[in-house]
Amino acid sequence: MGAGLFIGRMGRSGPAVAVFDAGCYTIAMLQGSALLGILADGQFHSGEVLGRTLGISRAGVWKHLQALKARGIEIDSVPGKGHRLNGSIELLSEADIRAGFGDTARVRLAGLELHQQIDSTNSELRRRAAALPSGFACLAEAQTAGRGRSNRVWLSPYARNLYLSLLWRFDTGPDALSGLSLAVGVAVVRALRRTGVADAGLKWPNDILWRDAKLAGTLIEMNGESCGDCSVVIGVGINVCMPRLLGAAIDQAWTDLASVTGTHPSRNRLAAVLLDELAEMLAGFEKTGLAPLLEEWRRHDIMLGREVTVTTAGGGESGIARGIDDRGALLVEADGVVRPYLSGDVSLRLRDTGSARAPSGPDART
Amino acid sequence: MDIRKIKKLIELLEESDLAEIEVQEGEESVRISRHGKAVQTIMSAAPMMAAPAPAVQPAVAAVAAETAAPPPPKGHTITSPIVGSFYRSPAPGSPPFVEVGQRVNSGDTLCIIEAMKMLNQIESDKAGVVAAILVENGQPVEYGQPLFVIE
Repeated sequence: MGAGLFIGRMGRSGPAVAVFDAGCYTIAMLQGSALLGILADGQFHSGEVLGRTLGISRAGVWKHLQALKARGIEIDSVPGKGHRLNGSIELLSEADIRAGFGDTARVRLAGLELHQQIDSTNSELRRRAAALPSGFACLAEAQTAGRGRSNRVWLSPYARNLYLSLLWRFDTGPDALSGLSLAVGVAVVRALRRTGVADAGLKWPNDILWRDAKLAGTLIEMNGESCGDCSVVIGVGINVCMPRLLGAAIDQAWTDLASVTGTHPSRNRLAAVLLDELAEMLAGFEKTGLAPLLEEWRRHDIMLGREVTVTTAGGGESGIARGIDDRGALLVEADGVVRPYLSGDVSLRLRDTGSARAPSGPDART
Repeated sequence: MDIRKIKKLIELLEESDLAEIEVQEGEESVRISRHGKAVQTIMSAAPMMAAPAPAVQPAVAAVAAETAAPPPPKGHTITSPIVGSFYRSPAPGSPPFVEVGQRVNSGDTLCIIEAMKMLNQIESDKAGVVAAILVENGQPVEYGQPLFVIE
């Protein structure tokens, strides 16, 4: 999972993605991140000092700087002064994240793993699910194959956003978890509120929007038999400070925390708060399910009373969104009849222009 | 052309007073016309010469075939653990997880059932050969509904 937004499906990605998905910087990753660690203060550092600190030549420094730039990291190089980050960058730190945990997170989170770069934090946890304890979290500075639903690309530039996945095991069958999608949305909204975003909204079932622009997304994947244990991987991507150039390729309205709050929120603090809220929610969901969260979800429902189109395998149905039922199904009224939807791709008619938001395609499952 | 679109067109025709609907999409065209009470679909690859229907297919039969009960399954049946939508491939346009006749091992992914954007990977709990796939891609499934037969 990751922050950034869908810009199309894998394999059909435009040139902007090709650049960032190139994966050609793996070898330089370790030294590149050490270099980034020095530059993280936002001050100028000369190539000579950088080379001496890292034990590499100035040409080596230059090569790493180019690799960082290729990853979408904006670096100013000024003759006579040196190199500096365009704005400071805070790298993920396990100690800083743990320091922000509340009681539930401290007890229920079994492990925390940070990656400089990974294909996808969700894929990683799913690969290793059998060997990992419930409550294991995985974060990455960058994802090379960050994905949303239907394998749509989730832009995941280095150190800019939050890409986090959490493994959780339930001792109920998957049928009891059908409302989990909505519950995760509530947890993300709570975390955002603690980060200074008071008015984040939810678009059924689990997109997180701010004034109709996508701020965060979730991807929930599970394996489970009809009876017995069920392991769930919950991926959350939050846009924190998306590079504008990269963001231009995103095919829907989006925003990031930096724009919403007017500050540069700490990603470590955000990760801590998010894991805290997820652990708290999941601990409750195990016992009581979606019911205690329904009212809160409804308070944040940005679709209520608005015109929506639900696209399912059977075609598209337009109507007025009438909230959710107690299972979490979306209610849509058309021709005086209210119908519940458990799956389908929902597009929202925009308030301002009155024109329909571009649907993500009849074959998309988002 | 997608069978779902054709179904939708038939419904449209049935709900209206129209005698005929013709839709052209790229090189394909579909004409659905009403003859007495029967609704017929006429498909043609050459839209300009569509008039003398090269292939006439009673739409009612097509719809009936789709909703007909699956043949009595022999072997081990995999059922859906949740209510949701059935998907045979990981993403639209990508190849299905399994095809009829394919050998699968226990633990191999057979399909995804999606509900409220939760993707539930359904794995085979038996090794064998896929004898039947009982649900069409994208269709809604109920709790306990048979999805696959493994021999």
